[in-house]
Amino acid sequence: MADARAELRVFPVAEDLAHPSALEREVVEQFDQMRERLLRYLLGFGLSMQDCEEIVQETFLALFRHLQRGRSRRNLRGWLFRVAHNLGLRKRQRTRLMEEIGDSVIDPTPNPEDQFSISQTQKRLLAVLDALPEQDRRCLSLRAEGLRYREIAEILDMSLGGVALALGRSLARIARVAEQ
Amino acid sequence: MHISDQELMLALDGELPAQDAARVNAHLAECWTCRARRQEMENAIADFVRMPKPPLPPADGPRALLKAQIAQLNVHRDIAWQNRWVAAGIGALLISAGLMIGQFWRQSSRVMVVTVPDPKLTPGATVLLSPREVCSASSAKNKTVPVALRKKVFEAYGISRAEPHAYEVDYLITPALGGADDIHNLWPQSYADTVWNAQVKDDLEDHLRALVCAGKLDLGTAQREIAGNWIGAYKKYFHTDRPR
Repeated sequence: MADARAELRVFPVAEDLAHPSALEREVVEQFDQMRERLLRYLLGFGLSMQDCEEIVQETFLALFRHLQRGRSRRNLRGWLFRVAHNLGLRKRQRTRLMEEIGDSVIDPTPNPEDQFSISQTQKRLLAVLDALPEQDRRCLSLRAEGLRYREIAEILDMSLGGVALALGRSLARIARVAEQ
Repeated sequence: MHISDQELMLALDGELPAQDAARVNAHLAECWTCRARRQEMENAIADFVRMPKPPLPPADGPRALLKAQIAQLNVHRDIAWQNRWVAAGIGALLISAGLMIGQFWRQSSRVMVVTVPDPKLTPGATVLLSPREVCSASSAKNKTVPVALRKKVFEAYGISRAEPHAYEVDYLITPALGGADDIHNLWPQSYADTVWNAQVKDDLEDHLRALVCAGKLDLGTAQREIAGNWIGAYKKYFHTDRPR
């Protein structure tokens, strides 16, 4: 059917789809700003890159619905981390359950040590970070993402005092590495 | 008496009430221990920030997928909205919409549901054929898409290797209406969508082809309608809001 005259005509993008709603644009803008940060945070859960990408998709679809319903735009950054955090926890529970059943094997993200040449100090730091209790490490990484302590407490469902304690513990250990 | 870690943190964030902030600042001005502690907090975060970061995959595919999924949410919402006034249908529709969203949530943890193509990736493409050529060709229905092209489509939509079995790579404009074997005319349609699925789209294509070949519809118009918004075209040509 497509003979020598099979000259291709690509359609112009349809009007209503080419001009996405302001809401869609807003969500995609947030996606562009926040995707990498959320991905890195989620990788800390020990999930595969693919799982993390899926969670990020779910998170932004939830954001779209959230805004579509006219809910608050206050502190969307904290909101996104909270949703991603909860989805990440749920995903990991499921993955662990599957592992116990022996259904599938978790695909851990490669150890940064294998991927980069890093300094001795950084190596020691990595070891310290790996050994930190999970919640303590999350406090650190959320703080490193620029979130306020109050926001961190909210995302991780902890008291402010709890965040202070967690950070205090991490700081002490990190300080010891720095002194070596 | 030194400042607690908690108060120090709030002070760093500027979240202390004015009175407390003044007290903390006054204390910091004369207490090396607390100043050092504050510095320690900042340094630890800085060390963490400086840690090497693993490389991440590019955002293009995931962004396109997000847009397509948002478009789908809008389609579902439109359906619900238009039927809102049909008294008899309300109950059933809300339940089915609920099921649809529920199903979407369950599936989206493993598989992205794609009902409408991303217009930037798949605007539609045709080969130049006259209506007579289109109608005289034996129907090119269920033409299989070359494997290499399928792979490209999945890549463009950011669908990972683990999931492709959940999608049919479909022509946006069917070859039976002059659609081209081209990446611009192909998209991954979810099997998971039970309402606006590939079978429904096939019905529309058959109907439009019959209209074109009976001289009742311009071929270019048929192509544009499908490429622009196939669900909208279905509703228009079948005079219905839901698949028959």
